[in-house]
Amino acid sequence: MAKRVLVVDDTAFMRMSLRNVLEKNGYEVAGEAADGEEAVAKYQELKPDVVTMDITMPKKDGITAIKEILADDPGAKVVVCSAMGQKPMVIEALSAGAKDFLVKPFQPERVIEALNKVAG
Amino acid sequence: MRSRDELTPMQQDLLRELGNIGAGNATSALSTLLGDKRLDMVVPEVVVCSLPDTMGLVGGPEMVVVGIYITMSGDADGHIAFMLPKDSALSLVGILVGMPVEELDEMALSALQEVGNIVVASYLNALSDMTGLKLVPSVPALAVDMAGAVWGAILAGAQITEDFITVIKAAFQVDGTSLDALIMMIPEADYFERIFSILLGTEAGE
Repeated sequence: MAKRVLVVDDTAFMRMSLRNVLEKNGYEVAGEAADGEEAVAKYQELKPDVVTMDITMPKKDGITAIKEILADDPGAKVVVCSAMGQKPMVIEALSAGAKDFLVKPFQPERVIEALNKVAG
Repeated sequence: MRSRDELTPMQQDLLRELGNIGAGNATSALSTLLGDKRLDMVVPEVVVCSLPDTMGLVGGPEMVVVGIYITMSGDADGHIAFMLPKDSALSLVGILVGMPVEELDEMALSALQEVGNIVVASYLNALSDMTGLKLVPSVPALAVDMAGAVWGAILAGAQITEDFITVIKAAFQVDGTSLDALIMMIPEADYFERIFSILLGTEAGE
């Protein structure tokens, strides 16, 4: 069965790009969220196998959302997908519980590679 | 307000070099985003110029541009704007989606917002690597308007303490299409002092 992904990003364009990459590679997009608040709510509702998480978002940033998702479900698998590749930010995300960190702009193969490793 | 002439040649040179490195990073980011298309950047012109002079760089105050504006916080505060003339914006979206685009609809604007976000973040990543400062970009705001109006909106939200900003003026060539873009760094409070003292080991104005 296809692994179900929750795609979290504040720009519709990036959600669409990720959806294309995921669906072409045998993943199912269970849902999309445009900010951290929506991400936490959608996670609880959809219980996806894996989440791709942007960091810079309105209302609630991705790091806070990761912490809340993991507090609710310690087994949650989150892969960060952010343009902000600065070392302190990567460390902050990983110590919040993210399983991997992809720096935008991403190459499609890298996204799939990371998801296969985390969700497989 | 401190004017550009009060900067030492070394300080001006450093600002230009930071601009060059930022432009290099922004270009590789843009190239990856465009699906690893060959992206030729005409050597970027990095200018440290006074505020009134910046209008001329975007083709005058009445030129219609797409402006993406990001506030920087963290270890240093500032404002960054990524501006491109509307026709360049249309070409860029066309290359991204793989077909000609004639108007800036919601998806096109979303694409441009993401381009701005990635370009600015890659610039900040480079700056952060060099200085060790943590530089956190805000969610990007986007406006399509005459350059003068976009510019006014940005300046209204900034606490300007310097009468100069760093502007990277870049021209790209992708698949025979040329695109113009500007990346502007508007410092706030002691941003330049911090950069100077970290990278030159001196205080600004010495």
